[in-house]
Amino acid sequence: MSIFLVLVRKEVKELLTPQLVVSIAAMLFVFHVIGRSVGSHNKASASRNGVVIVDLDRSALSRRLSAALSRAECAVTHSPARDIGPALAAPEHDAESSFMLVPAGLERDLAAGRQSHVAFYSRFRKNASGLGPVMAASRTRKTLSLVSGELSSFVMERRLQGLSPGFVKDPAPAREFAVIGGRVEAVPVSHVVAFVQSQSYFFPMAVFFIIILSAQMIMTAVASEKENKTLETLLSSPIDRRMLVLSKLTASAFIAAVLSGGYMLGMRSFMSGIVGDAAPGAASSSGPALARLGLLITPSGYLMIGLSVLVCILCALAMAFILGLLAEDVKSIQAMMTPLVMVLMLSYLLPIFIDMSAANDGIKLILYAIPFTHAFLAPQNVMMGNGVQVLWGIAYQAAVFAAFVALAARLFSGEALLTLRLRFPKVR
Amino acid sequence: MNALEARDLVKRYKDFEAVSGLTFDVKEGEIFALVGPNGVGKSTTLKMIATLLAPTAGSVSVFGCDVVKEACRVRELISYLPEEAGAYKNLTGREYLRFMALVFLKDGPKAEAAVVRGEDLCGLADKLKDKIKTYSKGMTRKLLIARAVMIAPRLAILDEPTSGLDIVNGYEVRKTIKRLAGEGTTFLISSHNMGEIEFLSGRIGVMNNGRMLACDTPAALKRRFSTDDLEEVFIRLTQ
Ligand SMILES: Nc1ncnc2c1ncn2[C@@H]1O[C@H](COP(=O)(O)OP(=O)(O)OP(=O)(O)O)[C@@H](O)[C@H]1O
Ligand SMILES: [Mg+2]
Repeated sequence: MSIFLVLVRKEVKELLTPQLVVSIAAMLFVFHVIGRSVGSHNKASASRNGVVIVDLDRSALSRRLSAALSRAECAVTHSPARDIGPALAAPEHDAESSFMLVPAGLERDLAAGRQSHVAFYSRFRKNASGLGPVMAASRTRKTLSLVSGELSSFVMERRLQGLSPGFVKDPAPAREFAVIGGRVEAVPVSHVVAFVQSQSYFFPMAVFFIIILSAQMIMTAVASEKENKTLETLLSSPIDRRMLVLSKLTASAFIAAVLSGGYMLGMRSFMSGIVGDAAPGAASSSGPALARLGLLITPSGYLMIGLSVLVCILCALAMAFILGLLAEDVKSIQAMMTPLVMVLMLSYLLPIFIDMSAANDGIKLILYAIPFTHAFLAPQNVMMGNGVQVLWGIAYQAAVFAAFVALAARLFSGEALLTLRLRFPKVR
Repeated sequence: MNALEARDLVKRYKDFEAVSGLTFDVKEGEIFALVGPNGVGKSTTLKMIATLLAPTAGSVSVFGCDVVKEACRVRELISYLPEEAGAYKNLTGREYLRFMALVFLKDGPKAEAAVVRGEDLCGLADKLKDKIKTYSKGMTRKLLIARAVMIAPRLAILDEPTSGLDIVNGYEVRKTIKRLAGEGTTFLISSHNMGEIEFLSGRIGVMNNGRMLACDTPAALKRRFSTDDLEEVFIRLTQ
């Protein structure tokens, strides 16, 4: 076996402790279970789409409203109460959260051209949290617009004989087109956005995980050699020191890849549990149009993205290696990670909140100077046909990597390694 | 040829001179001991010889190879045991010996032979298949000493080899060192144990404040101060 493999194997053995494996497995399991249970809960609460009607009008119109709601797959319950108060208090409606009060004389008023008001009551649960209230609000909004549409149809049928209410409400329906790189397709812009987002949603998160994990790994690998006083022995051996650096880079990249693969699997089953199969649905009807727009990533596109991520990880590893050399022991890794995490956060989050194509030059310069940004932006750029920028990004990242490796190797072969130490003030 | 030649060796840490002009030779097959009070620069000197620290001034050569210009050659000749060394906690004793043998010797069969020798020298027997994190301080030290000498280096540099060992184990390590010296390995050690030094070394170098005060055989030094207690020699020299 080559000496390089011997070195890598020893690094992996030292880093991949049973504790680490167990904790990762436990986390995967927890992710999976939570995702599943949240998902089934959300489905259950989505199907609990009921409304209690307190009908004080008892007219043809109020029956028509109730029928329309039923057609829209809404579980309609009629309350015998004569006002909203008793209906809300009634024990049989305890589980219901949506109530609709149809006022007496609604049909008469509308027929006469007088405004009236249908009232909606949404009951908040005491311990409501998470997506529950949001979904309840969106259900109420749907019910509301359904009822309002039905009421205006009623008025139009009476007043505008000869014209269908559908035509009056939207006489010239809009047609949406998306334009990307000179190509024009009839596709709702919301579908394009949803698709681009769904494609670039997991990706930066995966990269983020890999970078943090591998950085932590290599810092541990370096700092623990220092802390356990094994470094001096290794450095007095005839092994080429560049080989020592390289074996540590390889081992931590390998472990980081395995771990983040695990994280991503966990995340996927977590997210798919929550979102269910609903998410890609919107975009799939527009699939062919999206493909014609060039949004579907081709193999060469994936290659570019992969390359960008690879050099990005290498950059992070080289930086972390240097930080690890400066760390006094494994405990101070946390402090050493902070600058790296900060920079990473900046390049991960800023492009999400600001539009890079419209950002001012200062911000752009800062973001593009951070090598990680190029990897985070690679999928969008590839999708938008901006391959040249991706290639420049890769070249820049590679240059940064080379510079850091040179620095790391210099530090590693000099005696600074044994005498130089960065001390952090103790955090109280 | 001398195994080691140090000439006017100086090491300055930032604003502190730990070694100031050290000159001495170690002959091939000899056991040479550096002694001196705490903090006089013994470990610093050994680290410079082991190519870990660069001398501020002066020169050291190991079997004719300069430790700065020919560091790689020197590393193939020496084996260095740091004073506070540790081992990889998640490896077993046997894995550690095998790893180190491969690192130092590269070559498979030679490394295997070294591992066999190491397993025998460390005297850990069945414990070798346990993880090093379960070892006591003395067990780890024995493993490390075995690691340092199993590869049969031309020059073994051992910084306080028996510190932390009990009487029996210390005695065995000393016997091993003496036996290996008889087989041709040159030893440069540092120690605070006068009995050990008297038993082991051909010559001793007494250091104080980064300088060599005396360099001779224990017998000659005792004669010079007309006493038969080496400790007395030490105290009178360093006061
Ligand atoms: N990295 C360093 N930076 C600054 N000063 C150092 C460094 N390492 C050692 N010194 C100083 O150099 C001097 C010599 O240290 P050294 O470790 O060589 O002593 P020693 O003779 O081995 O002592 P001991 O018997 O306690 O092992 C000490 O005063 C120490 O404070
Ligand atoms: Mg010392």
